[in-house]
Order: sequence, then structure tokens, then C-alpha cells
Amino acid sequence: MTTDTCVVRLDKVRKEYGDTTALDGVSLEIRTGEAVAVMGPSGCGKSTMLNMIAGLDRPTSGSVRVHDEELSRLNETKLALFRRHRIGMIFQFFNLLDDLPAIDNVALAAQLTGTKAGPPRKRAMELLDELGIADRRNAYPAALSGGERQRVAVARALMNRPALLLADEPTGALDSRSGEQVMDLLLDLNQIGQTLLIVTHDERLATRCASRVVELADGRITRERSLERA
Amino acid sequence: MSAVWRASRAAVRRRRVQTFVIGLVVLLSTTTIVVALALLEASSAPFDRAFARQQGPHAIAVYDPAKVTDAQLTGQRTGVAAAAGPFGQVTLDLTEGGGPGPRGPLTVVGRADPGGSVDRLNLWQGRWPTAAGEIVLNQPDPGADPRGFPPDSGEVTLGGKRYTVVGRAHSLSQTADAWVSPEQMTALHPTSVQMLYRFTGDVSTKPAVHADLAAVTAGLPAGALIAAQPYLVVKEKVASDIGVYVPFLATFGMLGLIVAVVIVGNVVSGAVVSSFRHIGILKALGFTPRQVVAVHLVMVSVPALIGCVLGTVAGTLAAQPLLSDGFAGLGLDVGINVGVWIWVAGLVGVPTLVALSAFVPAVRAHRLSAAQAISAGSSPRTGHGTRIQRRLAGVRLSRPVTLGLGLPFARPGRTVFTVVAVLLGVTTVTFATGLADTLTRISTIEDRASGQIGVRPSDGRTRIAPEGQLPPTGPQATTTRTDTEVEQLLRGLPDVARVTSVFRLPVPTIGQTQPLTVNFVRGDYSSMGYQDELTAGRWMTRADETVVPSELMRERGLKIGDKLTLELGGRRTVLTVIGETMDGAPGPPGMFVDWRVLTELAPDRAVKPHEVYYQVQLKRGGDVAAYVAAVKAADPAIDAWDTSQLSDFAVTVIGFSSVLSLLLSTVAALGVFNTVVLNVRERRRDLGMLKSIGMTPRQVVTMVLTSMAVVGAAGGVLGIPLGIVAHRYIVPTAADAARIAIPHSVLEVWQAPTLALMALAGVVIALLGALVPARGAARLTIAEVLHNE
Repeated sequence: MTTDTCVVRLDKVRKEYGDTTALDGVSLEIRTGEAVAVMGPSGCGKSTMLNMIAGLDRPTSGSVRVHDEELSRLNETKLALFRRHRIGMIFQFFNLLDDLPAIDNVALAAQLTGTKAGPPRKRAMELLDELGIADRRNAYPAALSGGERQRVAVARALMNRPALLLADEPTGALDSRSGEQVMDLLLDLNQIGQTLLIVTHDERLATRCASRVVELADGRITRERSLERA
Repeated sequence: MSAVWRASRAAVRRRRVQTFVIGLVVLLSTTTIVVALALLEASSAPFDRAFARQQGPHAIAVYDPAKVTDAQLTGQRTGVAAAAGPFGQVTLDLTEGGGPGPRGPLTVVGRADPGGSVDRLNLWQGRWPTAAGEIVLNQPDPGADPRGFPPDSGEVTLGGKRYTVVGRAHSLSQTADAWVSPEQMTALHPTSVQMLYRFTGDVSTKPAVHADLAAVTAGLPAGALIAAQPYLVVKEKVASDIGVYVPFLATFGMLGLIVAVVIVGNVVSGAVVSSFRHIGILKALGFTPRQVVAVHLVMVSVPALIGCVLGTVAGTLAAQPLLSDGFAGLGLDVGINVGVWIWVAGLVGVPTLVALSAFVPAVRAHRLSAAQAISAGSSPRTGHGTRIQRRLAGVRLSRPVTLGLGLPFARPGRTVFTVVAVLLGVTTVTFATGLADTLTRISTIEDRASGQIGVRPSDGRTRIAPEGQLPPTGPQATTTRTDTEVEQLLRGLPDVARVTSVFRLPVPTIGQTQPLTVNFVRGDYSSMGYQDELTAGRWMTRADETVVPSELMRERGLKIGDKLTLELGGRRTVLTVIGETMDGAPGPPGMFVDWRVLTELAPDRAVKPHEVYYQVQLKRGGDVAAYVAAVKAADPAIDAWDTSQLSDFAVTVIGFSSVLSLLLSTVAALGVFNTVVLNVRERRRDLGMLKSIGMTPRQVVTMVLTSMAVVGAAGGVLGIPLGIVAHRYIVPTAADAARIAIPHSVLEVWQAPTLALMALAGVVIALLGALVPARGAARLTIAEVLHNE
């Protein structure tokens, strides 16, 4: 399911770290409901591009607009609020809080808005149920398998109903079976309208979940291709 | 360059903040340790050092020259290590000059020089007398701060003869009140001769000294020895002067030591624990366990050594003024300096403490395999604090606050150390605040009792300078007013409320071997405020009653209800002791006796105005400076000065308690700073994640500050009772050491608002320590943190 509304628009984005150019004039548009995979070798600028879109880092030059919001104009607090309400993030190594059980890790994203503990926990429970790990809600991260941890991370990313879900090597730290489960999950999410941007090395993940693949090399987009999903 | 050194150097460079924190904490801790040890040392041995420096006599023996010859005295050497004398000695009445102190008999000794093998005098002003009519007075060196010291009087009248004061010297052992040349002494026809002995045998107790003395006087004619005084008498007197400082110094010293040790241990061991991942990587690279331990010892030792050296210097500089102020005026004639062993403790002891603190966790790392060490730094944590975090998740507070409340429980060991540091900081602040309040109350009571203004007419030779001012200059004059006219003058000036006249006189008392100092008081003494100083009994209501300062009570073994028979000029009167006060009128402790008793005992005595000290209190809002100026304008021969100032003792104690409180609070705050730095480093990944899901910078700061506010509150809640207990125990102990009693009211310094403020002290210490790293945490670059993880 796609529409013509543009969720992400990168215009000649350049990012330099000292003498190193991570992104070199990248322009890209992602429309609502699209699932875009960004691929390329290590150090090509994939994660840097994802960080720009998530508002985790600022470009050296160029424009990053997400939902018509020019991110370079936002201060740190507004960027945090932007991430809280518009962006869901999934990391390769899950990044769960070890001190909290699964359900509280998921609810955390909504609780930062100042709402009472009850409603977020209810929604977290629903998400865990939808992702098939409701029975592990009270388990701490150390007691969860890799796949379970990533599902908890996905649930946390979906907690605030983000306009854009960003996934950085979501299957990179998982065994093949867990990886398959996460791929299915992402595919399902996209099929119900969730816009996705996946950064990955994994060709299988890209071809299975994405409708478009953007290939990067040396900080530049070298190729874009649309995919027919099964 | 060895691999260990290269790896250590790289670790130091990479961890600049941690290196800086270790250096700073060790610097301030060493400063605290040096100050604390210097205070402890100074409180224990200044008399012994001063006595050794002067080669003080173990015994002063006075002989009758009619019964023993000089040759006999010098020939007696049994058990004598060194001896000085025989010196001719005579007692002369001081009638004029010599300062504003009491007149009376002075012991004058003839000596050829101030040196010698025994009783090496500190001739701190002028020269030694060589000609007839020259004299040197025994007075302690006022040091660099001569404020309030009696101005020089060039002449004194002793036994009706005028002498030129050519110098001032000090004998710690009080071997004489004044010295003249031997020739001058011969002319004065000495009535006794003085021998000063240092013994080879046991001199630790008075009986031992008397035994030594018996050995040296054995074989001398009977009755040759008139009097003898062991040095321990003077030592006890000095000890009682210093003793009042000892409990305070010891308390601050011990608090300083414990805080410094706790913080250094926490900071250094925390640094090593937080490096476990690094340790694992080094092992994986092929470093032997021993090399790994060495890397981390070197890593913490470099900043620690720099901190030690700078801290030792800073501690010495900070301690010196405290010591100088604390022991000024005690006449010890010896520099109260930071001893060499304290330097050694700073330069060797602290690095050893650092090494031990680093060694324990380093040995743990030594035992871990490479994989274990790496995973100890990166794998999910389990156990600590999870239950508490879970419960907090349901609490109706903002999520950053509940997350912060749970953080201290993730590292319970580190949290306990941090709480202890804050606790001791709060204990110090509480104790110091209570102490300052008590001393201020004592000063207030004393001020009220002693009047706001002191007045003493000049004797024509000596003027009295108020503290911080130079003595009046110009032609010396004597007032033409009588004692009662002076009082009338004082009562007639604007704003006056109360005037009390005090005439001090030693009065022989039946049953007492020495005369009792009596302050005959007249005027408004019953309403001046002395009643506030009562520690037992009640105030005088009749002329046959007396109130006695606690020091005099203890010295003379008096108790309330005792009857004292005073005798003056053949007349007697009986007084009943009905009250005990913390302090008496200004000057040496003397009992309060109504002036009518003086009139009864010595009806013919004409008291001269300069023998009377007048205390004046003004009406509320009265201008002290204007009153003082009015007195001087009315009669330039009358000195008046503002007495409503904190005592030197109070200023000194409040001064060093403030310095140490600030120092210990800073060290405690640094402990918190270090804990937050370590926590933030360990939770960089969590912080990055929290920011990635929308935690604002302010929420990050709130979370981190909340985590340390809990620590601060815990430290405050536990530290306040400790501080109060210390105050309740130590202040009376110090008073007891000074041989005085204090009114209970001065200990009642704790009110609810004060305690609430004290409780906040722990939170403030913690928040101050946490603020900088909390803001650093808020500024973490998420992409960098998550990428590195």
C-alpha cells in the first residue's frame, strides 16, 4: 500500500567527519507506505544516512526533511520530541534497558511523554501480544533470546505509532531462524502501511521486505532499483 | 618503550575526563589528609616541641642563699643532664608600667644571657640587660599579629625603683617574670637563688621529677631548698589552653581522613572496574595478566602521583594559617609547622592508598579470562536493581524521575561508597554549623555579659588598643576624675543602659593556699547578662553571696554551697557560693563579689580609676562607635573600645571548621562527580537509546540528577544525626578540656528549619557533583554512542 505523500526528502546531503566524507551529496525521497532498503559495503555511509533521517546527527550541508520538518532547524529538545512522535528505531544490538522487563522496555517510549504508567503498559502488552511474545513480558533482556529481544525492540519502536520505522541491520545479530521471524514481522508491518527504511548488508532481507533498494558506495547513491515482492 | 607503558599512556589519553577526575580527587583528598594530619599533630605535641627547643628545665628549684653556697649548688650533679644557675632571685612589687595587667609582686632573676644549656629564652624584642637600671620582661611573642597586644611601655617601676625595659623575652617554663643583669641582681640583694635542672632519669610524672630533685639536693643543708616546681605544672596549664582545640581538631582530622580514603578508594577502584572491557581486549591481544594489572596501576598512578604532589603542597599551604591562628598567643615560641612525616604521608601514603585501591579490582581482572572480562563490560546486566526498577515503573512520577530513582541500585557497591562520602560531608557540615552556632551563642552571651563597650582610664603610661587598631598616640595623661566620677560620666552619655564597675584584687581566703581572685562588682552587674552564663545554681541576690566561674571552681575544688572566708587587712567576711558561671568578667577567672564587701573589708582603700574596668551596655539600637567617641571626647585619658566581637578562639575554630567543611564537601561532591562520570560511561548505550526514542536533554539531566539526589538525600538523612551526635559529644568534651562548663542553652542549636537546611546539604552536595556530568550525558551524540556500542 503506497501513496504519493513524501515522508523523507534528502536534498544534496553531505556529511563530513574531519577529512572523511561519509555522505557526498545524497538526494533521496521516501513516500508514505514505502519500504526502502539501503545497501552497500561497510563504511559506504548507510548508517550515517539513517542517523540523518532519525535526527541523531546533523548534515554538514544539504537538507533533511521528514514529514515536511526541516531537521537542521530543530534544536536538541525539538529533535528529541520529533524522534519520540515520528520515528521508531530498531538497532542491530537491540539496545534494551537491562534493568527493565520486556513490557517496561516497550512502554518506556510512551511514558517519556508524561502519560500515566497504565495506558502505555496496556498498549505495550497489546504490541507484545501482536508480536507473539506476550508470555515473555516480564522477562528481563538477559533472559530473552536474540529474536525475542529484537521483537521487544520492534514493539518499543512501534509504541508511539511512528510515521517512519528505521531499522539498522535488524537481523545482523540474529541467527537465521530469528532473522526470518524479524523479516516476516517487518514485511507484515509494511503491508499494513508502515513506512520502512532498512539499512542492511543482507540481500535476502532487502529483497524480501523492501519495495525499493538504494545502493550506496563511498557516500553516494550508485544505484536504485524497484523490487517486486512475493 | 614497553608495551605496558604504551598501553597505559594510550589509556590515559583516551580517558581524559577520568584521568582528570582521579587527579583532582587525589589532589583534594591529599590536601584534606595533609590538613587533617597537621591539625592532629599540632593538637598533640606543641608543648613538647617548644619545651625541647627551649631546653626547658624539668625542675625549677629555689634555694636559700643563707644556707647553701653557689659552689655547693653547682657541685650537685647526681642525675643531672644539664643545669643552669645559680641565679640570684628577688621578688619586687610592680607598681607602674608593664602593661595593663594586674599589679603585684614579680619574680626578678639575674642572668648574664638568655642562652645556655637550660631554659634558652626567646629574646624576641630588644636586647639583654647589661647595665644597672635595665630590665627584660617575660612576655610571649605576639608573632606576626600584634593586634590588641599591650603597647610597649619603656619603663616599669619595681619595688619603688624605675627600670628601663630594654627587651622582651619569653620563658615557656615561666622561670621568671623579669630578668636583670647579675650585677644589678647583686645590688638588689637577692633573697633566694634559682637553679634550673634537666634530669637524665624519668621525668614523666611529678613524683618522678620530685625523686630526681631529691637526688640532686641530697646532702644539702636542711631547709636549703625553699621551693621547687616540676615542668609538668606548666605543661598542664598549656595543655588546658590547647586542650579546648583538640576535640575539634581531632574530629575534623578524622572526618577528613575517612572521607579522603573513601573517595580515593571509590574513584580508583571504579576506574578499574569500568575498564574491564579494555582489560579483556588487552588480554585478547596477548598481554599477560601481570601486564594487564600493571597497565591499570600505571593508568591510575600517573594522575594520582600528580595529584599527590600538588595536594601535599596545597595541604601545607592551607594548614599553615590554620595552625598559626589556632596556636597564636599560647607562648609556645615554636613554629607550628606541617611536619616532615606529614609530607611523607602525603607523598607516599596516598599513592600507596591509590595503588591498593586499584590493586584489588585489578587482581579480580587478573583472574578473569579475556572473554569474561570483555563480557563483563558489555553483556546485559542482571540482578542488581531490577526489582526496584520494575516497581518504580508503576509509580506515578515522570519516567525520567523513576528511572533516575532506580539507577543507584544498579551499582550498589559504588552507591554505598558515594552515600558514605556524602554522609561524611553532611556530618562535617552539620557539626561545623552546630559548632559555629554554639560558639556564636557563647560569644553573644559573653558579649552581653561583658558589655558592648570596655572602658579603662589610663594610668598615665599605658594605653589600651582595641583589636585591630593602633594604640592612642599623643601625650600620656591621667584622668582627673575619681572612680565614681568616671562611672557618673559613663552613665551620663547618650544611649547608655547599664554600667558595671569591676575592681579585681587577689584576696587571701581562709583554707586556700593561694589568694582567690575576686572581682568586686558595682552597678548594674545583675542585669548585664552574667545570669545567662550560669551553668549551675542561681545569681547573687545578697552581698554575702558569690558566683564563681567554672574554671576557678575546678581549680580550687569549690562547689555550690561552700562557705569562703575572705580576709583583707585583718578584717574577715564569709561568703556563700551560690552559682557557677561559664565565664567571669574579662581577665583571669575571678569570683563575683558585691562592691559592698570591699567597702566592708577595706573601708580605707581608695580605688584609683585606672584600677577599675568599666563595662557599658547601650539601649537597643544604640551606636557603639558614637558612644566610644563620646567617652574619648569627654576625657581623652579614658580608653574605650568596642568589645562586641567574636573571640579569637571562636573566630579560629569557626575559621578552620569552615575551611574543612568546604574542603570535605568539595571532596564529597567530587566523589559524586566521579560516580556519575562512571555511571554515564557505563550507560552510554542506554542513554543513547533513550535519546533515540525521544528523551529530551532536560529529561536526561533530570534522570541523572535524580539518581544522585537519592544518594544525597540518603547521605543527608544519615549524616545529620551523626553530626548532631558529634556536636553534642564533642563541644562539652572541649569545654571540659578547657576546664569550664557551658550552659545547656548553647547546645540547643538545632531547630526544625536548620535541620531541613542540613538535610538539603546532602542533596546540594550531590547535585553540585552530578550537574556537570549530567549535562555531559545530555549532550552525548547518539549516533556516535550507538555506533561505538
